[in-house]
Amino acid sequence: MIFEQLAGNLVQGLVLGAVYGMATMGLSLIFGVLQIVNVGHGAFIMVGAFTALMMFQALGIPPVIALPAALILGMLLGMVIYYAAVKPLVSPSGSGIRKPSGRDAGIAVAIFISLMVVMRFLSGYYKLHTAFSIFVGLLFLYGLLLYVYGGRRQEKAAELATLLVTFAFGVILEEFVKQLFTSEARGYNWDIGKLDIGITVLPYTKLLAALGSVSIAVILYLWFNKTRAGMAMRSVVEDSVGARVCGVNVDWQYALSFSLGIGLTVTSGVLLTMFIPVGINPYMGGPYTLKAFVIAVLGGLASPYGAFFGGLVFGLIENGSYTLFAVIPGVEPFALTRFFSFLILLVILLIRPTGLLRAK
Amino acid sequence: MLRVEKLESGYGPMQVLWGPDIEVKAGTITSLLGPNGAGKSTLLWTILGSVKTRQGRVLYKEEDVTHMQPHRKVDLGLAMVPEGKHLFKEMTVYENLVMGAYRRDAMARKEENLEMVYSMFPILAERQKQVAGSLSGGQQQMVTIGRALMTNPTLIMMDEPSQGLAPKLVMEIFETIEKMKREVGLTILLVEQNAAASLDAADYVYVMHEGSIKAEGTPEKIKASDDIKEAYLGL
Repeated sequence: MIFEQLAGNLVQGLVLGAVYGMATMGLSLIFGVLQIVNVGHGAFIMVGAFTALMMFQALGIPPVIALPAALILGMLLGMVIYYAAVKPLVSPSGSGIRKPSGRDAGIAVAIFISLMVVMRFLSGYYKLHTAFSIFVGLLFLYGLLLYVYGGRRQEKAAELATLLVTFAFGVILEEFVKQLFTSEARGYNWDIGKLDIGITVLPYTKLLAALGSVSIAVILYLWFNKTRAGMAMRSVVEDSVGARVCGVNVDWQYALSFSLGIGLTVTSGVLLTMFIPVGINPYMGGPYTLKAFVIAVLGGLASPYGAFFGGLVFGLIENGSYTLFAVIPGVEPFALTRFFSFLILLVILLIRPTGLLRAK
Repeated sequence: MLRVEKLESGYGPMQVLWGPDIEVKAGTITSLLGPNGAGKSTLLWTILGSVKTRQGRVLYKEEDVTHMQPHRKVDLGLAMVPEGKHLFKEMTVYENLVMGAYRRDAMARKEENLEMVYSMFPILAERQKQVAGSLSGGQQQMVTIGRALMTNPTLIMMDEPSQGLAPKLVMEIFETIEKMKREVGLTILLVEQNAAASLDAADYVYVMHEGSIKAEGTPEKIKASDDIKEAYLGL
């Protein structure tokens, strides 16, 4: 009985894992090219989820058709964010080594963190005094950042600034979506039948989500390895100085990869709603950000395909451990599963800091 | 072919170049000597345009290219062998070379250039399916030079191509450089720590120190001057 249940849940885990994997590829791509950890990752998944929801509810367009729209929307969003906030922090100079100025980093942080606090306040998420104290706290942080890193260690300052800026953008997006749609959890119902395989039942929407994820991963793989444009981006990942002397426009590749990374993430939001079509709300991204970090580390952080396989592994671990924990009396399996995921992250970081699936 | 006039550049608040003037004549090997931190690499990167010029001009084939973006300069036939190789270590030798032919004009001449690279470095033809990171240091340097040749260049700037190589391999690299001049007809701007070998290969020499040119002349003239050798070259 328990084995049958486990087997069924593992199949579900594998299908969900494919979607998880796809939802992490964008994070890994951005990290691979720009060495930026997109702390606002989950917010872009949320944007994708709302894209699917709105296109389905308002226009009756099935989520599968919404995928290209989500990719385009995400890429545009990525371009805007790159040029507004990220470029001053990663602008390559010299032999390709990043030498952003501490001043640029400070200004970017100040602007976007202020915007973030204003948005949170407007949405009622923060009360006035909370908003004020957060703002003062962040200004203090900004001052500290400039003081400690502003002079000689500018690269460190910029690195910290990228974390703060991507975090701020995540929050700004959440609050923006909340202004449009309120924070109420929504869902949609796209029923196209289901497949009974004995040990478990898989709705076709879930299968389509997994199939879509695998297809996107394969297309990305072929694009990276077989096309001129893909090779150019790969060359920047491997060695931006080398790419530059080959005549690759490195600055443009930075913009393009950030944009593509966000595009893929928004697209994955659509796929996730095909798996879980409920609970769509502006703040739904948080858990996905955390999961994506675990998956990215599983897969070796800088490799999009590593991330994809990391996702499959994570899906299996999550569902498998959930089933097993559920058997133990007196245990709340959901909370323990989460704990278990991070335990795995910790163990991997201890024994294999380069990631589990990465050669080397 | 290439003329640099009163070039000034640097990184952030730190200025590195203080107005050096150099000229590289077509079909010659021009050598840039000087101690560590003299600004030789910065000069090359400023010529390529990845370090921004603050003052002065860069003229290439009689055209002002001072503020042209690096990838456009590659189109014009300006190639670079960067210090420290900067190969694509996880790509195969063949993929590395094809990346050199990334620009459309170079892609059109891919097959001919590939043939030239393989005839110059036959070992690369044998190893073309091998991952570049698994090659020996000398072979990796060949890939870097080969990749630069694939960009279909007229002028190659080489930054410390013999760095970290065994003496025998250093000789081979210098032979290759002379071959590139004689047989391929390339113009070469060479930055080297290895002053002795560099003086033997060069047609004209500039000695750089603290961001400006301290001496210039034919290799014979530099060799004859004990002052220069002692002060800047450690010979």
